[in-house]
Formats: sequence, structure tokens, C-alpha cells
Amino acid sequence: MASQSKSRWADDEGDQALSAQRKQEKEAKKRAKAEKQRKLEATGTAAPLQPSQVNGSSAHDISLNGLTEPPLKRRRLSPSPPPDAPRKLLRFFASSWGPCRHVDNFEKLNHIEEGSYGWVSRARENATGEIVALKKLKMEPVNDGFPVTGLREIQTLMACRHEGIVGLREVVMGDAMSDAELNLTIKASVFLVMDFLEHDLKTLQEDMQEPFLPSETKTLLLQLTTAVQYLHDNWILHRDLKTSNLLMNNRGQMKVADFGMARYFGDPPPKMTQLVVTLWYRGPELLLGAEKYGREVDIWSVGCIFGELLTKEPLLQGKNEVDQLSKVLQLQKMHSCSLIRIVPKIFELLGLPTEASWPGYKRLPNARSLRLPSDPRMHGSVLGGKFPYLTTAGSSLLTSLLALNPASRPTASEILAHPYFKEDPKPKSTAMFPTFPSKAGQEKRRRAASPSAPKRGEAPKIGEGAIDFGGIFAGREEEEKGAGFALKLI
Amino acid sequence: MDLTSLSNPLVTLDQLSSSSSQLDGLSTELENSIRFGGVQLTEAAGVLLRLPQEVIAQAVVIFTRFYTGPEGGSFLINPVKDVSAASLYMIAKISAIPQTPRSVLNVYAYLSLTAPKSRMDAPSDRQRPDPESHYLTTGAYLAARTTLLQTEAMILRALSFITKVVVPHHLALTFLQTLGVLPSPPTSKSRALAGRTISHLNTGLFSPQLLYLTHQPTALAVAAIYVAAKEIGVNLPCSEWWEVFDVDREELGFLVVGLGSSRLWAEQESRKWVEGKCPLTVEEIMLEMERGREVQ
Ligand SMILES: Nc1ncnc2c1ncn2[C@@H]1O[C@H](COP(=O)(O)OP(=O)(O)OP(=O)(O)O)[C@@H](O)[C@H]1O
Ligand SMILES: [Mg+2]
Repeated sequence: MASQSKSRWADDEGDQALSAQRKQEKEAKKRAKAEKQRKLEATGTAAPLQPSQVNGSSAHDISLNGLTEPPLKRRRLSPSPPPDAPRKLLRFFASSWGPCRHVDNFEKLNHIEEGSYGWVSRARENATGEIVALKKLKMEPVNDGFPVTGLREIQTLMACRHEGIVGLREVVMGDAMSDAELNLTIKASVFLVMDFLEHDLKTLQEDMQEPFLPSETKTLLLQLTTAVQYLHDNWILHRDLKTSNLLMNNRGQMKVADFGMARYFGDPPPKMTQLVVTLWYRGPELLLGAEKYGREVDIWSVGCIFGELLTKEPLLQGKNEVDQLSKVLQLQKMHSCSLIRIVPKIFELLGLPTEASWPGYKRLPNARSLRLPSDPRMHGSVLGGKFPYLTTAGSSLLTSLLALNPASRPTASEILAHPYFKEDPKPKSTAMFPTFPSKAGQEKRRRAASPSAPKRGEAPKIGEGAIDFGGIFAGREEEEKGAGFALKLI
Repeated sequence: MDLTSLSNPLVTLDQLSSSSSQLDGLSTELENSIRFGGVQLTEAAGVLLRLPQEVIAQAVVIFTRFYTGPEGGSFLINPVKDVSAASLYMIAKISAIPQTPRSVLNVYAYLSLTAPKSRMDAPSDRQRPDPESHYLTTGAYLAARTTLLQTEAMILRALSFITKVVVPHHLALTFLQTLGVLPSPPTSKSRALAGRTISHLNTGLFSPQLLYLTHQPTALAVAAIYVAAKEIGVNLPCSEWWEVFDVDREELGFLVVGLGSSRLWAEQESRKWVEGKCPLTVEEIMLEMERGREVQ
């Protein structure tokens, strides 16, 4: 090649010039190619990358010099795809990879919701006209690079293909990162492109006059449990199941979203942070500081969601960890003991644990200083009394989901087999669900006060011999303040 | 068995037919050598960090994916050392054993003082240097950390955040169990079989044919078992047992050849760079390209 023989006698400067020139040529080629790709995308004729490429059908020809217009083989092979097709194809990352596309491929329509880890808006993809949800990941300025929570959120959601789990189509980026080719900074915005769903269950319930009908509740619970079963089968813990993370479309289909806390786990489970699951949905083992936990934490949350679907109100609205725990305990024998007024909340509902009902609970970090009364009248659940309209089967299911001892909770498959779903009224077919006006589709929605997913930081510990729980937790999180009661048990 | 959870994204024909490095004027031969050096470096660093082989293998695959295709990274623009370190750092971050930027960078600082030797003669545990003892100065550390985190972001963008890599090691052992050739307690033969299988999988990571990018982990596992069983002389069910694992004869044949030539090639490469170090920095690569041109 000419350039090669030239370099034999070229001096250093000439060399550098040469390599600079090569670099420029290459940049030009790449730019031309990128430009062409953009044009194709703009006219909607080319999907960014096609799964079919893997099978060697040379879907579209990325010609390397990018100067001659490539023959669009794909167009000839498969005449214009049906309007619904790009949806599937866009999930190109399933079968191959390529650089992130730019967020400019989408036009933002309206803001949906401000969450703790990001914000979400409704958008339209320019090329296809399809409506999607864009979730911008919040990038806290940290010294360990791309937040691990974000990596896990993308990794787990990407791995999920299930009708009960919101579809992640791709990840796109804003400017800072995609501008100068691969010459990037860290501070770029990253967006998850998801299928858009009209509602989340929390917002929806806030606007409903009456709770869902029993037949609807059953269907929703079945859908949720099927999705959870899929996650657990694939070794994924969601760790933040709650109504605001359950999306629903106008066809009665519910999908689990927000994988900001999700992660892969193993058997035996690895040591994991206890700072997971939004307070009102957090199981007693987490409240007591367990570092080894498993699928049962999601099952507890399913129980809380079940209770919430029945009444439209979150079941256990604790002010802080201790208060949450007491709410659970108080559900039991509420009237039989005056002490109960100052006992933390989880236990209000479900009674105090005993060594027999929950072997080993006393060895959990925060249980050591938790001295609980041994009054036998306080053991046993009063859960049933809270839901007078729930059938015996429904009540038994709810009680089992909210078993203090994680080992006593049913697995997702066991839930699905429960008689509650077989008795009348039968689960309503999703097609028969009523439609509701979508707030997400129209306007920015207000956020009702409720705790958010836990933030990273120190896990709360109950010190040796401490009984003033309120003081210990004060100030850890906004919503946990104001709990300064002294807990005197025994 | 849910096969989607065991599958990886695969390289496309376009990505195989050209690469960013080639667009920069690198010959395929030199590109392969540099990749080999980079994989070795990543393995050496992973061993020093005491990361499990599965995690190291995942990082190697991320490293390899990054430099693949015309839209990927280029050895002449993105230094091997930076991409290797960031791949390892990022994969460790989402694994059960995250590493601090400090310890990753210390290890690479240490390795830059010693030319990476072949993975096969990695230092044994006893003579292994303490990575923590090779501190970078504060200034050097801060600069290196910025580069590390920028490179991490660059990798994520180039791979559109696909961080999941299923490696076949664990899978292969499960397959061996399924085939009933891993009795407990193990015999010396079954131990050798498992050992050879894993060894072939590790060699495959060096493949200039990018076997980990062109084939699914199940196929790689089956091929490694096939080769290992032949070598050790273990009889596997004579029927077409690989079909149980959803691998056809043609693919198996290709991979058996591929794994074999990977081994030969790795040995050749190790010999090739005995005298001079395999060029890894952009400057070294430029020099080597120069030399190559002079030889022609
Ligand atoms: N795919 C979607 N379609 C429609 N709305 C969505 C979608 N994804 C999220 N939303 C809306 O945005 C809200 C916040 O989303 P998400 O829970 O993923 O973010 P987050 O910041 O992690 O929230 P938080 O940390 O508060 O739980 C949801 O409650 C829902 O109302
Ligand atoms: Mg949320």
C-alpha cells in the first residue's frame, strides 16, 4: 500500500501526520456511517440492529466506507414490517450488542413521576411513533463509577422476558457520553426505554372510590405472583415490591417495574444489605437486621400488597423501623393488653414471635436488644379481624404470606396453588377489567406522602441493651422522624 | 431448563468482518496478538485480586466484546490496560466480590512493572506479590481512577449496558454430572476430566476466532467436555449425547476444532513474544506497526 511504503522513509513528524490523517479518515468514515444510520432511522426504514443479523442473514449492510449507499437487502427480503413489529426487534440487546443510541431518537411528551432514583416521562420514538416510558437514571456523584444499583437494574430487567414484567427495550444516552465518539466523560444521562403503561397501582387506587372487587383483586394478585415466581425461578430478588412499582395498562394487565433494588442471589444467599424494600413493605427479618435473606422478603411484600388491594390502604404504615415492627406485632390480641399501645407496629398485627413460631429470630442483629413480653395472650394473629369480608381461604393465604418466620411463608408457586383462587368469586379475566383515565398519559401527577425505597448508607442497628428505639433511628430518613417514644416491654 | 437465562448476545457478521482497530490500520495478525496480550493481562490481574475464574472469564469476554466490530473500541485509541482494568472493575462490581478502584489500580500498577507472563505459569500462591503493597502516589492514583471510571462509562456505552455474561464453566460441570461421569467421591479419572474440561474452556477465552462471542455457553461447555473426554479416555454415552444439551453435530465439530487451535495458537503467541513484550500501549503498538511495515 502506498501509505505503508511511504512510512519507510518518513520522519517522525511525517509519521505522526500520517497516523493523524488515518485517524481523521477513519473518523470521517465512521461519521458518514453514523450519519447514514441516523437518516435511515429518521425515515424509519432501518431498525438499529436486527436480531436476525446473528443468524447471518446480513440484515442491513453496514458498508465500511459508508460512502456508497448500501443495498438495503433487508428491505427487499422482508417488505415493510407490520406496524407492531419494531417493538420486538428493538430489543436488539437480547441477541447482539452495539453502542447505545442517543436519547434524541425520542421526543419527550410529558413528565410522569419523580422517584427516588430517577424520573420517568412519556415519550414517542421518532422513527416508529411508538409511545414509550423513559426513565432517567439518577447518577449520584460517586467515586466508584457507574452506580451498581443502576447496573443491576439494567442487568436484571434486561434478563427478564415475561408478560408480568415491564419490557425494557433498550438503554439510550444523553449528550455528554455519546458526543465525541468514544471520547466520553462519565457525567452523561442514561435512560431506560420501557414499554409505556397507563397506570401504577398506587396512583390508581388513590383515585378509586372503592377498592378493587374481590374478583379483580384475585387477578391482580395472581399476575403479581406469577411475575414473582418468574423472578425467583431466575434467581432474581426484586426487593422493592410495592403498589407504586406495579404498573397496569388499560387491558387489566399488571406488570412489575422498578428494578432499582433488584439483584441476583444464590443458594445459599450471599450477604446482602438489609437496607432494601420500602419500609411499609419490609419484612420483619429485614427490620431485625438479617443479612442473609431470600425470596421470602418479596413474599412478605406480596402479602402487604394483598392487604392493600383489599382496603385500598397500605396495610402497615410504620413511621420507622421500630414502629413498623410494632405494627406487625400489634395485629395480635390488640385489646387484650394495654402494653400493646407502645409496642412497635409490625407485631401489632401479627403477634409477637416466639422461639417456636420463628426459630432463631433472637439471633438476628436487632433482636438481641428487643426484649419482648412473654405474655401468651400476645401470641397469635388478629389479621383476620381486620378484613371482615375476606373468606376463610383468603384470610389463611394472607396470614401465611405475613408469617413472621420467613420459612413459614409460602413460595410463589404455593401461592398460585392456594384454594383462595379456586373459590368464588373466580378471578376476573383481564379483558373484563374496567378502564381508568390515565394520569401518566396526561399530566404530571402529584406524589402522595409515603416512604420511598431505602437509600444507601448505614443500616440501622439497635445497640446492646437499648430500648429507646425512637432515638436510635431519628434522622435517618425524613419519614422516620418523630417516633421518639420509649419502648418499655416486659 | 430455561435457555434464555443461559444465553449471551452474540457477535454479528458485520462486527466480525471489520473492527475499529483494523480501520485504524492494524493488521488482523497484530490485532489478534494484542487481544491475546490483553486477555493475559486481565487474567493475571484477576488472579492477583483473587477473583474466581468465572468472574475473570466474564471480564475477559467484556474486554473482547469492547474491541469487536467497527463501532467498538480501537487498540490504537483505547489503551488495553485501561479497558482491561475497567472490565475487571465493572464485572467485579456487580459480582458478589466487588473491588475498590484502589486495589484494581494497584494490581495494574504492579503488573505494568512485570511483563505479563503466560497464564499457565502464573505465580503460585506463596510467591504471589501483595497487591496492596504497590501503592500509587495520590496524584497518580486520582488520575488513574478518573481514567478507570471514564473507561467504564465508555465500555457501558459501547456495549449498550449489556453487562451480563454467562460463562460455561459452571455449566460444564453440571453437564458432566448429568452425564453421570462425576461420581462422588471423585475418582482420579473424573477429577482429571473435570480439570481438562475447565482448562479447555479457559484456553477458549484466548481464541482468535472469538469463540466466546460466536457461540453460546452451552455449546462451549459441550465441546470442552467432548475434547476432554477424548483426551482422558472417558466413555460418554455413545449416542449423540450433545443433543440433550441442544447442540448439534456441526456446531460441536466446529468448536472442537476451534478449541484445539486456540490451544496451539496460545502456545505460539506465548513463544512469539518471549523476547520482546507483546505491544500493549498505544506507543508500543505504533512502533510494532512501524516494524511490521519495515519488514514487508
Ligand atoms: N414503563 C412505565 N410506564 C408508565 N409509567 C411508569 C413506567 N415506569 C415507571 N412509571 C411511573 O414512574 C414511577 C416511578 O418509576 P420507578 O419506580 O421505576 O422509579 P424510581 O425512581 O425507582 O421510584 P422509587 O424509587 O420511588 O420506587 C412509577 O411509580 C410509575 O408511576
Ligand atoms: Mg418506584
